[in-house]
Amino acid sequence: MHTLLLLSGLLLTTSAWAQRDTTIIITTSGGLQFDQKRLVVKPNTRLHLRFLNKDDMAHNLVVTRPNARLRVVEFALALGDKGPAMHHVPAMDDVLAHTVSVEPGNTDSLTVNVADGAYPFVCTYPGHGAIMYGIIYATNEPGKLPDPNTDRNLPNPARVAEAGMHQHAEASGHPYSLTLPAVCRTFMADCGPAAIAVGLPGTDGGQSYVFDAGSCRLRYAWSGGFVDNTEQWDGKGQRFTTVVGDIYYRDTDGFPWRVGTQTPIVQFKGYRLIDRYPEFRYLVNGVEIRERIRPRAAGRGLIRTFTIAPTRQPLTFMATAQPGIQYRASTGRLQNNQVRLPAGTRQFSLTLSTL
Amino acid sequence: MLLTLLTSLWFWVAPAPADTISDYYTIETIPTPPGLTVETGGLTFLPDGRLAACFHRGEVMLYNPKTKTWKLFAEGLHDPLGILAISNRELLVMQRPELTRLTDTDGDGVADTYETVADQFGMSGNYHEFAFGPVRDDKGNLYISLNTASNGAGIRAELRGQYDSLGRPGRMYACVPYRGWVMKITPDGKVKPYASGFRSPNGLGIDAQGRLLVTDNQGDWLGTSKLYNVEEGKFYGHPTSLVWRPGFPDIDPLTLSPQTLDSMRTVESIAFPHESMAHSPTQLVVDRSQGKFGPFAGQTFVGEMDFPHLLRVLPDMVDGQMQGACIPFFAKGGSGGTPLRIGNNRLAFAPDGSLWLGQTDHGWLGDRGIQRIRYTGGTPLDILAMTLTSTGFDLTFTQPVDEATARQLANYQLRSYYYEYHRAYGSPQKDVQTIPVTAAQLSPDRRTVSLTIAQLHPKRIYELHLTNLTAGPKKLMNPVICYTLNRLRPSAVGQTN
Repeated sequence: MHTLLLLSGLLLTTSAWAQRDTTIIITTSGGLQFDQKRLVVKPNTRLHLRFLNKDDMAHNLVVTRPNARLRVVEFALALGDKGPAMHHVPAMDDVLAHTVSVEPGNTDSLTVNVADGAYPFVCTYPGHGAIMYGIIYATNEPGKLPDPNTDRNLPNPARVAEAGMHQHAEASGHPYSLTLPAVCRTFMADCGPAAIAVGLPGTDGGQSYVFDAGSCRLRYAWSGGFVDNTEQWDGKGQRFTTVVGDIYYRDTDGFPWRVGTQTPIVQFKGYRLIDRYPEFRYLVNGVEIRERIRPRAAGRGLIRTFTIAPTRQPLTFMATAQPGIQYRASTGRLQNNQVRLPAGTRQFSLTLSTL
Repeated sequence: MLLTLLTSLWFWVAPAPADTISDYYTIETIPTPPGLTVETGGLTFLPDGRLAACFHRGEVMLYNPKTKTWKLFAEGLHDPLGILAISNRELLVMQRPELTRLTDTDGDGVADTYETVADQFGMSGNYHEFAFGPVRDDKGNLYISLNTASNGAGIRAELRGQYDSLGRPGRMYACVPYRGWVMKITPDGKVKPYASGFRSPNGLGIDAQGRLLVTDNQGDWLGTSKLYNVEEGKFYGHPTSLVWRPGFPDIDPLTLSPQTLDSMRTVESIAFPHESMAHSPTQLVVDRSQGKFGPFAGQTFVGEMDFPHLLRVLPDMVDGQMQGACIPFFAKGGSGGTPLRIGNNRLAFAPDGSLWLGQTDHGWLGDRGIQRIRYTGGTPLDILAMTLTSTGFDLTFTQPVDEATARQLANYQLRSYYYEYHRAYGSPQKDVQTIPVTAAQLSPDRRTVSLTIAQLHPKRIYELHLTNLTAGPKKLMNPVICYTLNRLRPSAVGQTN
């Protein structure tokens, strides 16, 4: 009997797939903060979060997919006057679980399955999302987590903005320090298998984006860092390179260019480096387009500059409509997030920025 | 006095220094820059004598052997596994998603254009879809090879290229175009599927006769690792790639019987027996040094991942078809605390005739780093050629051998076997037979021994063990050689019938 108990206990602790149940109570601590900002659990945990609101105003608690906090906050903000009825929670895949709006003194609970990785949680009330958040780490190696004082997943108004231009050589994983802009072809989530991650210089970690060399288009952009290749570089190269920072933009539509009324057929032709910025070259129905993406001078956002080979066909650019993202076109009129380029346009810029 | 006497006595009775390969070749380890993870994916020499190397984490670096300095040329590539110098400013690099031309257009020593040369093949995102090459033939055509995917992992949600579920079953699979194919890129940039039936073709080369040779790795449908003489349109035996063959019916190739598949395939020219020669053969290079690398001028060398040796292949043309032998090179090589390491994934001959080795493990068995083998002079006693005759084999040596040992039949032990062509992973040696050597004749110049064999049968491997063969104080460097007998010499057909 004793042996049997011991054995079953052993089985429970050694099986990697055994799901554990963990309950954590989280409250508010005033000043738009959760009392606990960093929760560490084992991978494959079914986590029950009980949110007790001790503050003098209403909040919610939303758990997001990794790197998705910023985008969920943007979508929540864009709900506008529909927000209160929806508890300020946008309907999107990036939201894994959420509470309802919790009035002062009340509680609500949520349950979320966390596999492995870093899952942000945030209050998505308008204005709260920028500072009221924290992180759930599902990991077997808590010793490898970043120091809380430098952890970018935690709110820290006192943290000094760093110039994210250089990393030390030992941190880069290369025989040189990482210099931004930098190009890294790799496997990344939410992109075709021919992904090109590009890190751009800027304050507070800079910004980065992924360009898909298969479909010849920008897939998503994030701020606060570049990439972590630790898992991709290990062994045979199966695992993804991961995003460092918060994704604020996703192109959720198809290829953006239309040449006349043709179904786009694209071919990737490579890139050249101009001051280390890649300028991609691709053919769209035989028309050559070159695209260079730079960060906005101030604030989160990208400037996409296109150089177009001469063509008699009319060209249209279709931008993904996304809450929290606005576009500005250098030429042509932006209507319903589409720009029809005037005939003969050879250069066109589209600025994408967060509100 | 007594001590002196004893010491000189000791010298007198001590055996003569052993004759080893390290008396003819030395090896050194090339220092690499701090911070570089030296998982070597490719080596090539620029016309000006600098080495260009690419590495797992995407760097392309140039090494000047004169100044012993490294310099970064390009970065950010996706697991590059092949490199070919075009000029001092231009390199072709095979990375997972494409063949890329890197050019330093402004002459500052760093590549500024990364031009896509060929990406007309699919990717499922599976880790095993490596891409190898390129090699270039004398007409300027380039050849690359595309690994199949492994059921050690699945595929991604987003693919590049068309998905075909008929290519998805099996241990190694080809659910996107041209996995398991060798592709040809013509000088005008056209990309053509060239030959199919490959599993993990991590080695391409054009030999001294201009033939395209490709190695493939033991596994499902490969009883042992092998070398193919690749020709356009042929199918080399690993079935999954057939789904991408024009005109192939809409069926899962694994539903065909092994007998049917066997009748469709072109067999290997040279098998590398798993037990003695290779677990994972790699790149092929030709010794064009005209003697600067020793007595093997014009021969093809092959790298190997798991054994601490390289290989030489010794093709033999029979009835217009290539078959032949393989034999280790530099086995147990190295001295002075620097042994040859394993993981010899990439090879390149330098202009000075030294052979450079790029090592990796890439998540498997292996080592990391770069080593260089140099010929220091003299002639090791080794086998230069093994050819099939109508009655047996002729062995040609690098120098005259001693008649007394060469003519002793007991010095030749021959066995033969085959590896099964089937869906299972690998194969044991099947139907192992000991074959009597009935005569050994020495040529007048004492360089060639003609062995008469009791029985010769096609579709078998003949593994010959040579013992005690000498040339004065020299002993034979590699006592085991394996000949893949696909066809008999036409004149011998009548005798065996």
